[in-house]
Amino acid sequence: MTRLLDLGIDRIQNIIMDMAKLSEKSVTTAIESYEKGTSTKKVIFEWSEQLRVLQDEVGDLAIELIARYQPVATDLRFIRSCMEIAYGFSRFGRYAYDIVDVLETMGSITNCDKSAVLEMSCTVREMIRISVQALQSKDKNAAEKLYQMDDTVDALYRKYLREAITPYEKTDKRSFDPRCYISALLILRYLERISDHACYIGDSVHYIVTGTSSPRR
Amino acid sequence: MSWMSSEEYANTTSYKLSLLSDTKRRGYKVSVKNLNSWFGSKQALKDINFDVKENTVTALIGPSGCGKTTLIRCLNRMNEMTSSATVKGSVYLDDIDIYASNVDPVIIKRRMGMVFQKPNPFPTMSIYDNVAAGLKLNGIRNKALIREIVEESLKGAVLWDEVKDELGKPGLSLSGGQQQRLCIARALAMQPEVLLMDEPTSALDPIASAKIEELMNELRKELTVIIVTHNMQQAARVSDYTAFMYLGELVEYGPTKQIFENPQKELTERYISGKFG
Repeated sequence: MTRLLDLGIDRIQNIIMDMAKLSEKSVTTAIESYEKGTSTKKVIFEWSEQLRVLQDEVGDLAIELIARYQPVATDLRFIRSCMEIAYGFSRFGRYAYDIVDVLETMGSITNCDKSAVLEMSCTVREMIRISVQALQSKDKNAAEKLYQMDDTVDALYRKYLREAITPYEKTDKRSFDPRCYISALLILRYLERISDHACYIGDSVHYIVTGTSSPRR
Repeated sequence: MSWMSSEEYANTTSYKLSLLSDTKRRGYKVSVKNLNSWFGSKQALKDINFDVKENTVTALIGPSGCGKTTLIRCLNRMNEMTSSATVKGSVYLDDIDIYASNVDPVIIKRRMGMVFQKPNPFPTMSIYDNVAAGLKLNGIRNKALIREIVEESLKGAVLWDEVKDELGKPGLSLSGGQQQRLCIARALAMQPEVLLMDEPTSALDPIASAKIEELMNELRKELTVIIVTHNMQQAARVSDYTAFMYLGELVEYGPTKQIFENPQKELTERYISGKFG
């Protein structure tokens, strides 16, 4: 016989997977906009709003399940973690919107060197994929891999930041267009934050499976 | 270790600790060691081992027939009142093995009071006499002392304010929740060190149950409480430690937070999550 609680847990799980897909699509679309110069601000705004609404829905449902069924053990850990995971996916959507907002604000950046952002975005998109996969397969070890990738992302961000603040020399071949640096720095920062949230999702999966939480780095 | 005189050594913590029983030294009020129990040829408890810390509430949970009530009744030798019951193993109250041949079970029952599922005030007695009965049976004749203990016990059971002007009324005239608190007051009058409660709220409505739960929280400051409950949310609310039993065995015992958030045994997880059967 199906427990009444399971109906609610299934519903939360469905919403979380919807959020996973939508947030992944939002970040991918935002990066493509940066790469190709296309305008997607309106649609990503809508997706970001949808993610926010879904996050609220997860929170409301979680509270209802706790109040009505007093879940314990794995059920309780899952419900608690879903609230955090939903927040993570909602942040993915928000950062995707922030990325396209930068593009709108800066105007044309067609001639900028985009390699740093594209390099980091590859890693971050892979991290999103791994975090979603970890959630689906309840992979408690994914967090470790995500943190290793996060170290790479952090290193890339710091490297670019150092480069951006290094004074120009006469022989410097770097672009003098401030829009290139500012846009890249802002987007790298948003990607770096997405990377953090992917790690937190890995942490949540670890907590759901093992019941122990490791201190956040 | 430094050289010291016998007098100096007698004052050291290590010497004082060495005088205490193992149970007391480890900070436990009750220790159950290899406890087995049978009703005739049917084994009801299988090799139970656990320690109960002083001033805590410990909940015994598990499905019907798992041995919770048998266990709690073994803790103060009440199981001996069932003719076919036998027990093997030890239960320590501080440093005393309550099953030792030289131990008087009456004294054990006095030190470890019991409250039952259904409120059972003495039907022909007043509220006052219900609480005083145990004292009188134990030979206390000083009326002023009895009055003082009755008042303290009723206060301890959070019933005093509700009955102080009608102490002469029959105990049965009280509501179910009040009757149960009267039974708790009756147990408290004997100044027990441990209070055993066998499903004390199962016959009560939610408001009366909540009062008993609040009372348990207060009682823990003065004594050690062990409660049998079928209500897992109640165990989660009131207890510091939880023991999960199944088919006469103690499957898992630990801090309530751990049992309800992260049980270590699959069987515990399935039972508390309602996935049993």
